[in-house]
Amino acid sequence: MTEPDNVVQLQRVSKAYADGQIFYALNQIDVAVTRGERVAIMGPSGSGKSTMLNLICGLDVPTSGSVWVDGTELSQLSDDQRTRLRREKIGMIFQSFNLLPTLSALENVSLPLRLRDRSRREAEKRALELLERVGLHRQATHRPDEMSGGECQRVAIARALIFDPPLLLADEPTGNLDSASGKGILQLLDELHRELNSTILLVTHDEYTAATCERMLILRDGRVAEDRLRATGGNDPSPEDA
Amino acid sequence: MLGALTLVTIRQWRLHKLRLVLTLSGIALGVAVFFAVRTANTTLVSSLATTVEKLAGQATLQVSAGEASFPQEVLRSVRNTPGVKLAEPVVERVVQTALPDAGNILVLGVDTASDLKLYEGELDEAGLEISNPLAFSERPDSIAISRPFSERYGLKEGDRVPIHTQRGRQDFTVRGFFKTTGASVVFGGNLVLMDIYAAQAAFDRVDRLDRIDIMTDPARSVDAVEQDLRSRLPAGLEVARPDRRGQDLEKAVSALRLGLFMMSLLTLTVGVFIIFNSLSVSVNQRWKEIGVLRAIGVEASRVQQMFLFEAALMGLVGSAVGVGVGYALAGGATRIMGSVLDSMYGLVSTPERPAFHWDYAITAFVIGVSASLLAGWLPARAASRLDPVMALHNIEVQRREAVLGWSRFLLGLLLILVGLACTFFSPRGVGLMVHFTYSIMVQFGLVLLLPKLVVWGSRFLRPAMGRLFGAEGLIAVDAAVRMPRRTSATVGALMLGLSFVFSVGAFIHSHKAALNRMLDRCVNADLMIATSDQLRSRTYHFSAEQEQRVTSLPGVKHSDGLRLTGVAQGADDLIVIARNMDVWFSNSPGLLDEGDERKAHQLAMRGEGFVISQNQSVRSGVGLGDQLRLETPAGPLVRPVVGILEFYYVEKGTVFMDRELYKKFWGDNSVDLILLNLETGVDRSAFKAEINRAMAGEQRAFIYTSEEYKQWTARLTDQFFTLTYLEMLIASFVAAMGLINMLVISVSERQRELGILRALGGLRSQVRKIVLLEAASISLVGFATGVLAGLFNAYFLIHTTARIIAGFNVRFQFPLTVVLVTLPVVLLVALAAAWWTAQRALRLPVVEAIGYE
Repeated sequence: MTEPDNVVQLQRVSKAYADGQIFYALNQIDVAVTRGERVAIMGPSGSGKSTMLNLICGLDVPTSGSVWVDGTELSQLSDDQRTRLRREKIGMIFQSFNLLPTLSALENVSLPLRLRDRSRREAEKRALELLERVGLHRQATHRPDEMSGGECQRVAIARALIFDPPLLLADEPTGNLDSASGKGILQLLDELHRELNSTILLVTHDEYTAATCERMLILRDGRVAEDRLRATGGNDPSPEDA
Repeated sequence: MLGALTLVTIRQWRLHKLRLVLTLSGIALGVAVFFAVRTANTTLVSSLATTVEKLAGQATLQVSAGEASFPQEVLRSVRNTPGVKLAEPVVERVVQTALPDAGNILVLGVDTASDLKLYEGELDEAGLEISNPLAFSERPDSIAISRPFSERYGLKEGDRVPIHTQRGRQDFTVRGFFKTTGASVVFGGNLVLMDIYAAQAAFDRVDRLDRIDIMTDPARSVDAVEQDLRSRLPAGLEVARPDRRGQDLEKAVSALRLGLFMMSLLTLTVGVFIIFNSLSVSVNQRWKEIGVLRAIGVEASRVQQMFLFEAALMGLVGSAVGVGVGYALAGGATRIMGSVLDSMYGLVSTPERPAFHWDYAITAFVIGVSASLLAGWLPARAASRLDPVMALHNIEVQRREAVLGWSRFLLGLLLILVGLACTFFSPRGVGLMVHFTYSIMVQFGLVLLLPKLVVWGSRFLRPAMGRLFGAEGLIAVDAAVRMPRRTSATVGALMLGLSFVFSVGAFIHSHKAALNRMLDRCVNADLMIATSDQLRSRTYHFSAEQEQRVTSLPGVKHSDGLRLTGVAQGADDLIVIARNMDVWFSNSPGLLDEGDERKAHQLAMRGEGFVISQNQSVRSGVGLGDQLRLETPAGPLVRPVVGILEFYYVEKGTVFMDRELYKKFWGDNSVDLILLNLETGVDRSAFKAEINRAMAGEQRAFIYTSEEYKQWTARLTDQFFTLTYLEMLIASFVAAMGLINMLVISVSERQRELGILRALGGLRSQVRKIVLLEAASISLVGFATGVLAGLFNAYFLIHTTARIIAGFNVRFQFPLTVVLVTLPVVLLVALAAAWWTAQRALRLPVVEAIGYE
């Protein structure tokens, strides 16, 4: 069972890959994330950061152990049920944005709503609100190749927020951006966290990005090497720091 | 460097095996059909030539009267001509035997009393085994049969072979055999030899001949002897080298060969679309790889070369496979074409195994590789222009599809208009290939219009898709619109295939409608009696006595005996239909399209004028009131044209004349078709039985009521269009292949996109539905553009090709049935292909599909 206040809980979770010999991307880890918490997941390449995120969002399944999201154990769910849970409870932000190249910003953001059979008008109205929130309402009709990296990531964030999910997963959200754009994205995430009290799990290599979170999980060789709380509860990134 | 780049290419192929196989199959299919059609065409023509050659023996010249016979005294004039070394009379008949499953056999009546030197090597002493030559020549029931025929039916000397002759069923006695080479190979060995006098008596040819085979003196040139013969013989007799007959046969099948050639070009074009789409997809998928290559020092031109090299390599492999497959297909195609021609034109061909023509193979190979390079050009250029910095940055910077804007649209429109104007205004004398170029212009113009048509078509479909299928429907339509190049390639492949299907459908439909109109006007009789289950037999006719026997039966109000014969008319041949013009005009009011009907009736029934078919007028340039000259065995026959009517019996022109006039000039009183109008109250079914009794013992007479006759004609028309149906079938297959290929490649390309949809919360069922609906909307747009292209193509086929080849002025009929049948088939094929590919794509884990770590 999971604690009621835990949005995410991993219990003795392992993920193994067999390629001639067995390799553990994650090995018997236990992690719990409470509602409203901002957690930075750090570690060297191959330490299991992205694997952990994949398991939490239900894109992948663990070899052993259980993953709980907002009170639901994912291994009990079918692929479609995991998909629905991801759609409604998890907002995902990728390093490479994963916007559909042929759709405009507005269409990319409204897409998850349209997949839930909301009318186009309703979906686009909500999408426009979110685009406005991320400062991109003027670029609503632009396609990804007509926008900068920072703008694309803002669109991806707006899309992630379309269902007001309790959990936001961000995998290197600033990894493909210049420092100014990166700071802008972090600032936006900070504002959203304050406004919506979202739980944010953020995978990063960057100390500065990690410093925006109250808690830091450091993975090494598939295990949690360090789990520490920051006393200040995050910094307040501003453009001047760039 | 190219070696290193080849490594990159080969690794890509390993990674995308399905796409590689589909692309190769696209090229292979195009090359295979092209090579098979060309090989089958040549084999067929060579087979027809072989037949003529073998039947002619060592003859260097032949005298004939087209399809009619001529008086035997001509033989004397021929033999007295300087330079004629040998001249042998021939009666030639294709008849039915009563042997089980024997079908038709070819009977050759030759002068067995001569030493048959002309047929040395074909029917010489060693070849012709007759144990009792005296009995063979003295008894009129003697026949010699080929060894294969005797072996097939277990016939030995003295056995009886029942044959339907002009005198009814007659039993002939086997008194000789010939060797299994030469003439006996012809007609699959279904060959019977008999004495000329016996053949004349059996086949209503007393004192008449079908042909004279001539061996010229080597001391004189064949041309000089030919000239001499022409000056000595009546103009209605044709003097020609044996290969001329082969050329005539070749000409008879030219329309079918052209249709098949056009279809092979279509297949190649669809192949080009497939390669284009496959390479475009490849460039889209490999943008990061291209960025890496550029970053490590590969020049843009080398990237372009790499993709062109890839295209060439695919072209080489696909073409090689295509040539192999094409050769295998050629055997089947030859057999089908041969059997269709045998039944359709009564052409007898020697079955031949297709020869492997290296020149054709090399041409097909070069065309396949060139088509691949042509298709690869644009994607290769796009690859070389990719911005390496952005590509390396791992950002979604796939090149936005080139804006397929108005300039391209306008160019397409211009090409269509110019193509149509040229088709409409160019004289038919410029030739079919020039007109074909105009048709290509129109089709190419449509290809340029496609992106816009796709956008408009999708916009048109959008509301309905939204209402019917909700968000998935809208997403599917939007996805199709947002990738106009990819969608256009799929739509284009489908459009070209379907345009061929629809235009051929329109062609057949229009011709059938024209034939039905013609039948309604020209055949007004209660009963028809024919000599063959085809419209007519080229070699078997009813005698005057048989005609008399039928028409004098009580209950016949009036009758009309029709004689249909082919007549050589200079370089062109025409059909003469001799009938009772008085009965025809009286029974068929509104018969003529041009000319004063009352006046024409009077002149034609008195033998003072001809009525001609509209295509004869177009072909010969002879109009109403002009004098038309026919060369007959009795000398020239000149009459004015008093009426013109649409008549679509054959692609040759037709001249109608009164039968008395025909008898006088051709000395031929046989008929091919007897039309009977019965007295009021006479039961037609009962009367049919009467006729059967009157014709008992004769070779089968085919009796039809007017309704049955129409059904029979419809069946014959279907038979006539067998090869055209076959073309349609292959075109449908090509269209389906193109559609499947494109959809599979397109969906495979979008695995990442589908993965993102799933990562964002799209259920498998939703993603599958989107893919299916997108395939359905693409195929609907392809279908609509196919109908449009088909209409343009039909205009070319009906108004240009039919006019140039046959002089027909057929009215266009929309092929509604073909269109209605094709629509669900296209949708089913598209949905099946999309379903399979979607399932495949959905099996891929989302993490893998989106390329996530």
